[in-house]
Amino acid sequence: MSSLGEQIRARLPYQRRNAASLVLLVFAMVLTLSAFAEVGLARDGSIPAGMFGYGGGLVVLAVSAYFVQMKFAPYADPVLLPLAVALNGIGFATIYRLDLDTSADWKQAALNGRTLEDAANAADQLMWTFVGIGMFVAALLIMRDTDKSDAPLSFTPKTAQRYTYLIGLGAIIMLLLPVVPGLGNTVNGARVWIQIPGVGGLQPAEFAKLMMVAFFAGYLVNKRQAMSLIGKKFGPLSLPRLRDLGPVLVIWFFCLGVLFIQKDLGTALLFFGLFVSMLYIATQRLSWIMIGLGLLAVGVFVAMQLPFMGHVDQRISIWQNPTAYFDGGCLLDSGEVVPVNPNTEIYEKFAAQGSQFPGTAACAELGGAFSDSRQLMMGLFSLGEGGVLGTGLGQGEPWRTPLAFSDFIFTSIGEELGLTGLMALLLMYGLIVQRGMKTALAARDSYLKLFAGGVSFVLALQVFVIVGGVTKLIPLTGLTTPFLSQGGSSMMANWILIAILVRMSHDARKPAPQAIQDEGMTQIVSTR
Amino acid sequence: MNMDKPLRRVAIFALLLIFGLMAQVNYVQGSQAEDLRTDANNPRLYADIFKTPRGQISAGGEVLVSSKEIDDEEYGRFYKDGAVFFPVTGYFQGGSTQVERAYSGLLSGDDSRIKNQRWFDTFIGKSAEGADLELSIDTDAQRTAYERLKQATSPGRRGGAVVMDVETGALKVAASWPSADPNQFANDPRNEKSGERLEQLNEGDGVQKPLVDNALSQTFPPGSSFKILMSALGMSELGLDGSSNQDTSKLVLPESGQTLPNSHEGGACGSSAPLRAAFIESCNTSFGRMALELTIEKVNEGGKKFGFGERVEIEPDFFAAQSAIPVSHLNEQGEEVKTGQDATARSGIGQQNVTSTPLQMAMVAAAVANDGVIMNPYVVEKGLAQDQSEVYSADPSEYKKAMSEDQAKELQDWMRGVVTEGTATNLQGMNIAGKTGTAEQGEGIPNARWFVGFSPVDDPKYAFAVMTEGPGGGANGAGPVAGAIMRQVLK
Repeated sequence: MSSLGEQIRARLPYQRRNAASLVLLVFAMVLTLSAFAEVGLARDGSIPAGMFGYGGGLVVLAVSAYFVQMKFAPYADPVLLPLAVALNGIGFATIYRLDLDTSADWKQAALNGRTLEDAANAADQLMWTFVGIGMFVAALLIMRDTDKSDAPLSFTPKTAQRYTYLIGLGAIIMLLLPVVPGLGNTVNGARVWIQIPGVGGLQPAEFAKLMMVAFFAGYLVNKRQAMSLIGKKFGPLSLPRLRDLGPVLVIWFFCLGVLFIQKDLGTALLFFGLFVSMLYIATQRLSWIMIGLGLLAVGVFVAMQLPFMGHVDQRISIWQNPTAYFDGGCLLDSGEVVPVNPNTEIYEKFAAQGSQFPGTAACAELGGAFSDSRQLMMGLFSLGEGGVLGTGLGQGEPWRTPLAFSDFIFTSIGEELGLTGLMALLLMYGLIVQRGMKTALAARDSYLKLFAGGVSFVLALQVFVIVGGVTKLIPLTGLTTPFLSQGGSSMMANWILIAILVRMSHDARKPAPQAIQDEGMTQIVSTR
Repeated sequence: MNMDKPLRRVAIFALLLIFGLMAQVNYVQGSQAEDLRTDANNPRLYADIFKTPRGQISAGGEVLVSSKEIDDEEYGRFYKDGAVFFPVTGYFQGGSTQVERAYSGLLSGDDSRIKNQRWFDTFIGKSAEGADLELSIDTDAQRTAYERLKQATSPGRRGGAVVMDVETGALKVAASWPSADPNQFANDPRNEKSGERLEQLNEGDGVQKPLVDNALSQTFPPGSSFKILMSALGMSELGLDGSSNQDTSKLVLPESGQTLPNSHEGGACGSSAPLRAAFIESCNTSFGRMALELTIEKVNEGGKKFGFGERVEIEPDFFAAQSAIPVSHLNEQGEEVKTGQDATARSGIGQQNVTSTPLQMAMVAAAVANDGVIMNPYVVEKGLAQDQSEVYSADPSEYKKAMSEDQAKELQDWMRGVVTEGTATNLQGMNIAGKTGTAEQGEGIPNARWFVGFSPVDDPKYAFAVMTEGPGGGANGAGPVAGAIMRQVLK
């Protein structure tokens, strides 16, 4: 019996689906332009200028991306690009809509000589979309079709396998950049940003994410035979050798390090989940999942015990009972939460002294850890306000939630597009992930399988961590919502991610090269 | 070795992650949405209430409370003759009182009675329009009551009047002097001075607390008007009737040896008289003795038949203050002191610690006028959605059976006698019958002057209680006010 991958390949159309892709793309663009139009109609009763500037800009970019895909990856999966454009467009329209409400605050702050980070900025988002789709185009051009190895820049996804450890090192450097003094920048309690003069803030972890996938894929393809076969049987589980376990422990330790130094729970969770799942794909051994979950539990336990990591402990406490932390709550050693908000005496006492963070100071006095669930609660209120069909774009008040345009853009969309809109968004993510997984199954090479599988899974995991966080399914950790959140690094990294999947799907779906028997002795050898 | 199998499993796991999110979003936006929208921490709760117009409150075809757009799509609340109708309408400025509070859901459109009717609107997330309310208040009589209370009350003091339809319990008048005009603090949600004004009114001036109305929410010693209740108890508990002989001579209080005086010596209040005469001439000593014979516990129990000892619910979340016949009270040291013999005798004439709202005394009169049955008092007749469909309608119901029909008929006769031949002969020709009351409230404090009764005299339809604070007695201090109000009600 042939493998599943072979079965899938056998059923693939082996034909260009560019017309289908174009139809879907037009649909995605109509969706985006309608969103812009609705914002304007709801707010001013007229089609907004932003629709032509911002919406039109996105259309030009998307069409360019389409032609590059048609020319350089004609057999690619037709659904990926339109889905990414649709997500990007909806996020963009939402940011434009939030910009209309928050830009006034931003200008007022600028007048007072301050910079206000918490403001949506549609103009920047257009620039980042431009850069993101530019990355997509560039990546498609650089990663050549495996058939055309004579191209000037001969680099395919497979090439990355040769530089496995170099890429791994690169990923670690990227991750550690924010810790470098003078370069790193702490925003909202997490040190995950670097400041580049003239460019602005970047989150290197977004790029490290992709490099990690390439590294894990390369490393595991080499080691998977040993890791999956050798080991002692221990009950139903077969335990690996210590020398195979070693690198796993290193990765675990590294993720803990990320958590400790940068206080970035989301990224640590993302990398560790990615590693465990890729380990499982490579070895098909359940024991690796067990070991992974065990290590995760130990990590969380350790993090909760250490006093300077009150972070994790608190996030779980907030998740269980956000109401107690509204406008400030103090988690005491006893596990009790006492309110420390502007209406409480202890808060007033420290506010009177001119303390910059009266809540934190008041809570320190009580010997507890201060935290505020306002953002999470406001996000949930947004969702509640939206209900089933939403208030309609431009008609809700999503700007009430802090960071409504980045971490909480999902709840902003939930308020105005409602349950219906969010289900559509989640379906889009689900479709990208499943198309990616299908590409992985159809790939003709173990390394590419792992690479595509990892890339798809990391996207699913990222959506789960951030969306689960803002909807109170799991404790909240900060991550960007792919294609929706405002921000450059996320936009670039995720468009590259799509480019990788598009390239791989082209490779998987194109017809196998024909041996040209007629020309005598010549025989083409597949370069896959 | 092939990776397809684990890949497929991971693909399914990834799908489950997305499904998990879908389930959670469904849970939050479907099941939890209502709870989240009404969460006390949700700032939209406060921000949105001014974004849509609330329903109107009207009475007798006259719109008393309406919402008008002020600007920037915000609506303010406007009160016609605000101070006159304040005891009933209350106010709304985020916080609310009285009818504005009792039916806030209907007025704003949040109430399920409106939403269920418009399930499609709910489904598409459109907020329902608020309903209009129709009150049972007689607007002209209410205005008369306000004006007359103002005239009859001593400067710096208080007055209150209540008129109730005895067959339904519908309130026709609930007026207070002084009162507050909600236009001063509830018009414009953005006006910062509103809060200051509200605070100022809340603190009040002396005994005058404009935010606390003197018709439903404030209690006063009922004085001799309490004898209506005592007479009913005497009939049912002691088997008395109009001809039962009463000792109306001086009463020496058992504990202190002081005397409990009558308002006048001679007439019925000389040495002895039938109960009817003692009632008509308001002889204190006979009712003091009656209380001593009954004991304070029995009087307290008997009062419960009329509503004493509990907050009377007029509308949902809109209660009248609790009237009381205490069997004990806390002294200044915070110790509980039982009501002694002397205090029991004084309680029998509506003094000591006995207190009553004008509404409660009107309900006592209603029991007499309605053959012993007190109906639940209410002020909202109807709620109409914007499409004129009825979303609420008052449903008159019996509150308590306070006495037998015969006892009520007999008391009706006595109360007519008060006007024809007793302490209130000055009220003849006003088509009212009732009982005067003059309660002393302490050295240097004006009396609480009452006139509690019913009208028309021959076929009682309305019960009323009028109280004003000032010098003199109930016949002159409250009776003419009651007469003027009832003339307007009967018009």
